[in-house]
Amino acid sequence: MGNKIGVFVCHCGINIASTVDVKELVNYARTLDKVIVSKDYKYMCSDVGANLIKDSIKKNKLDGVVIACCSPRMHEHTFRGVVEAGGINAFNLEISNIREQCSWAHDDKDLATSKAKALIRGAVAKARLLEPLETSKIKVVPKALVIGGGISGIQAALDLAEEGHKVYLVEKSPSIGGRMAQLDKTFPTLDCSSCILTPKMMEAANNPNVELLTYSEVASVDGSIGNYSVKIKKKARYVDIDKCTGCGDCIAACRLKDRISSEFDEGMGKRSAIYMPFPQAIPLKCTIDKEHCLQLTRGKCGTGPLCVESCEAGAIDFKQKDEEIEVNVGVIIVATGYDLLDPQSLYEYGYTRSKDVITSLQMERLISSSGPTTGEILRPSNGEKPKSITYILCVGSRDETQCTWCCRIGCMSALKHVYLLKEKLGDDVEINICYTDIRSFGKGYEEFYRNIRGMKTNFFRGRPSEVRNAKDHLSIDIFDTTTNKLFEIKTDLVVLVPALVPRADAEDFARLLRISQSADGFLLEAHPKLRPIDTFTGGIFITGCCQGPKDIQDSVAQSSGAAARAANILSKKELEAEPLISYVEEDLCSGCSTCISVCAYNAIELVKEDDKSHAKVNEALCMGCGACVASCPSGAMQQRGYKDKQLKPMIEETLKK
Amino acid sequence: MKKYGLYPGCVMPTEQYALEKSIREVLQLLDIELVDLKGFSCCGEPLKSVNQMMTITLSARNLAIAEKEGLDLIVPCPMCHLALSDCKRILDTDPSMNQKVNKFLEDEGLKYTGKSNVFHTVEILHNVVGIEKIKEKVKKSLKELKVATHYGCHLFRPSEVGRPVDSENPQEIENILKAIGANPMDYPEKLDCCGGLLNANLPESALTKTGQKLQKVQEQGFDVFIDVCPWCHRQYDTKQKKAGETVAAKLEMPVMYLTQLLGLSFGISEEKIGLDLNLSPVDKLKLGGK
Amino acid sequence: MSITDLTSMGEPQTEIRKEINDRLCKLQDEISDYCYQCGKCTSGCEAHKLLELEPHKIVALLKRGLIDEMVNSDVIWTCMSCFKCRERCPQKIAPVEVLFALKNMAVASGKQIPGNYTALLQSVLSIGLLQDIKSVTTRDNKTKNRSDIGLPDISKPTDSTKFQMMISKIAIEKV
Repeated sequence: MGNKIGVFVCHCGINIASTVDVKELVNYARTLDKVIVSKDYKYMCSDVGANLIKDSIKKNKLDGVVIACCSPRMHEHTFRGVVEAGGINAFNLEISNIREQCSWAHDDKDLATSKAKALIRGAVAKARLLEPLETSKIKVVPKALVIGGGISGIQAALDLAEEGHKVYLVEKSPSIGGRMAQLDKTFPTLDCSSCILTPKMMEAANNPNVELLTYSEVASVDGSIGNYSVKIKKKARYVDIDKCTGCGDCIAACRLKDRISSEFDEGMGKRSAIYMPFPQAIPLKCTIDKEHCLQLTRGKCGTGPLCVESCEAGAIDFKQKDEEIEVNVGVIIVATGYDLLDPQSLYEYGYTRSKDVITSLQMERLISSSGPTTGEILRPSNGEKPKSITYILCVGSRDETQCTWCCRIGCMSALKHVYLLKEKLGDDVEINICYTDIRSFGKGYEEFYRNIRGMKTNFFRGRPSEVRNAKDHLSIDIFDTTTNKLFEIKTDLVVLVPALVPRADAEDFARLLRISQSADGFLLEAHPKLRPIDTFTGGIFITGCCQGPKDIQDSVAQSSGAAARAANILSKKELEAEPLISYVEEDLCSGCSTCISVCAYNAIELVKEDDKSHAKVNEALCMGCGACVASCPSGAMQQRGYKDKQLKPMIEETLKK
Repeated sequence: MKKYGLYPGCVMPTEQYALEKSIREVLQLLDIELVDLKGFSCCGEPLKSVNQMMTITLSARNLAIAEKEGLDLIVPCPMCHLALSDCKRILDTDPSMNQKVNKFLEDEGLKYTGKSNVFHTVEILHNVVGIEKIKEKVKKSLKELKVATHYGCHLFRPSEVGRPVDSENPQEIENILKAIGANPMDYPEKLDCCGGLLNANLPESALTKTGQKLQKVQEQGFDVFIDVCPWCHRQYDTKQKKAGETVAAKLEMPVMYLTQLLGLSFGISEEKIGLDLNLSPVDKLKLGGK
Repeated sequence: MSITDLTSMGEPQTEIRKEINDRLCKLQDEISDYCYQCGKCTSGCEAHKLLELEPHKIVALLKRGLIDEMVNSDVIWTCMSCFKCRERCPQKIAPVEVLFALKNMAVASGKQIPGNYTALLQSVLSIGLLQDIKSVTTRDNKTKNRSDIGLPDISKPTDSTKFQMMISKIAIEKV
């Protein structure tokens, strides 16, 4: 209970002082009941300001502090530390927001000052009733979960493993590697993508601290920071991975060989029903596609499944079932990656109306030596080498009707393709690039762009309106704004560079983890500048393209950052729990369970004690959002630091004339 | 029998008689009742370049006339359909424009409140009558005629205003044609403009656009070119000879209104669908019955 | 300070630009400021190949406020209003609507209206329609008119005086 209260009013430079008369506030505060000290300073959040508060507490033996300043979102945490350093409980502090809610919202100095007085009056009324609170401790489970086995997930897992933490790496496809495994070379160094990726994949497989859970998906997430319990569904491969040697005989024998569209090859190639996504897959085990396998869909495969016949190790097991396991982790890192916009959304570009209109990722598969054409560039329509290839950038990007954002990697990927195509098809192949802006912003990117400009590439600054089929080629009209001329391009192969979009299941996935999405659908970071890896949910971090489109180096950097943020938590034995959480006045609770139905964190349960049911709050899970308090019809649910008996006087005092 | 007011516009009732005739015949057969209202004027869209306020007001007065009779409108001309739809969009969402325009309408004792809706014939055929009913009425096989469809720009753009068919891949006319046994095929120039609006100030350029498209259609071996808009038809059919001269090509492409082809397949006589009014070589098709 | 176009020695006409942008907003179109000159409109413009209309340039000149040179030009009258530019613009801008605004301005400023728009206007004024009933020639060279074909009487404004009064009031109105 506050009987000796100190009020500290901040000028915040001119942010508060230019609209509110700070001196008058200081004098006014001194007149309030139980206030014995009232001071002001230009920047209360500075060292000098902090010392002013600490010294005042000690000198006057204060037991309650009111700071009239900016929003508590800015410095409440800091000021709690200051007050504690001054010798009183960190929660005997009340912040009165006279900046965002007063000086920044009004022009009239008299009215604003009078409002600020009311706000301070209310804050003091609450300070008189504040109680000291102790933070309880949460034990931290020293393990991490990384969701997504692309380069982002692999990097985060390796960094955490190196620090000595146990990591579960969950990947929903049969192998780790992600998008990087689909690329041929990376810009701007033209490193072979597999050559730089596979060592990391091998490390992830061999590191004793990393447990790989491939062909697995997260089914549910419960708990909170330091203590998450996650159910993971391990999908049935119908192949015993302890027996499978990865020899591939089954793939060659399969009755559906070369009949099923390959996802890894982006539909440019075919696979069997039993398959390995790519030759360097880790784990190097086969998987049976249960959507297409004849044995699994029809119950019979000819006279008998040919894979079983051909497998010397006897590894095929059609009786396998999905398995669900539960793991306990302290932190979760999300690295689920991206999808490409389906170019059919821009019907005018002829994707699906001609086989020779493909996406940039499909071109990557053609260029790749492990791809469907073993690295030969061939027109899908007739299998011949193209004499002319035209790139259209920004397909669906920077577009108010599709994806409003820039895909960030489109320009550089197209430039990279020019280099590789010239290498494969010879200098004379005609390569046209239709661009709006070339964004070559990174280290070494501008040099790369210069090299491509020197390679007889036809750059057209403009955007085609449509792609038309002609008898044996494609026709594109493009207005080039550099020469102010309309050109007709007759070309053999059109490559569309589509927008990068969040995964199709991003919304469901975000709900599963209780994290938010930004307006564009990518996962939301806590602050775009200063907290680009945290989410608003404690203990869950995001990295790589699931947070927003970016290239490989930015993904790797962000992943190491995520590992560091996660290790921050894992290196502690205990965390301090949020003390401003709800609790139940059991005598008043009727057990109606309304609070349970509104709790977004599953933190309340109904318990039976002495023949009576009442609600009980799980202190480790409660996030202090207050929804239960608002919903409680009897007032039995209260929130520490915001009790009705603390808030009512605050309201009355604030509204007093 | 579903009842609609017929809003004829200007070009159809003053010179493109075959469209009006074939629509009246076909819709009657399909149990759609058309009511002729008095007092209609131009929709104003061709005058948008001169004074857009006039366009909006003229469209509003026509909608107000339909409202007075409590009828929705069937609008055969896509340009009129666009004008009326756009007028509705503006007046239904902007109270100040609504007030301004209604003030003008007072002179004739009319008031626009947005009660009447506008439909195009293609919508009525495809969505209200339906493909199944159209199939039932087919009496004459169309021997898998290879058809090039021409919707007309104003029927499918701008999608922002709300058009009856898709702006990049409309298929409604194709569906109707398949139902009567024809073989509509996609072609790269399908969405190209006829140039009709330029008739007012650059008639030769208009004919060039017309001729270029017909030339391409002819080169691709189509049997017949089907359109639904009087402005387009005036270019492709009535002026086909001149268009050919303008682009220095011999154009001999049969051009018909969709409702004319429908009428023929339903067994309606050539005379009743105004086939003699087509100036393009429609006799090549040998479809007619007296 | 000032900005001068050294070709025409014209300065940005900021008020007229604002007037056009306000008109676009009123009709719920996007304003020209958002254009990033990708040129998709001109690449697909039906009037470009034949008549050299460049919709992206129209929008750029509007952004720059150099409106007189467009209002006084002939090229703004070449637009076929096919609406392809409006449909495909990634910033939802409608060069076709900017052109309508410029054409309206040209007419309102007393410039001569090209072609036979004047005749069409006069016809609407007198009979309410763009043209009166015509006789047509059939494929086998007969002459027919509306009643020959068995079509009912044409619909026209019932009280032409009141109709004309309304038209003359609108003639001086702007959007």
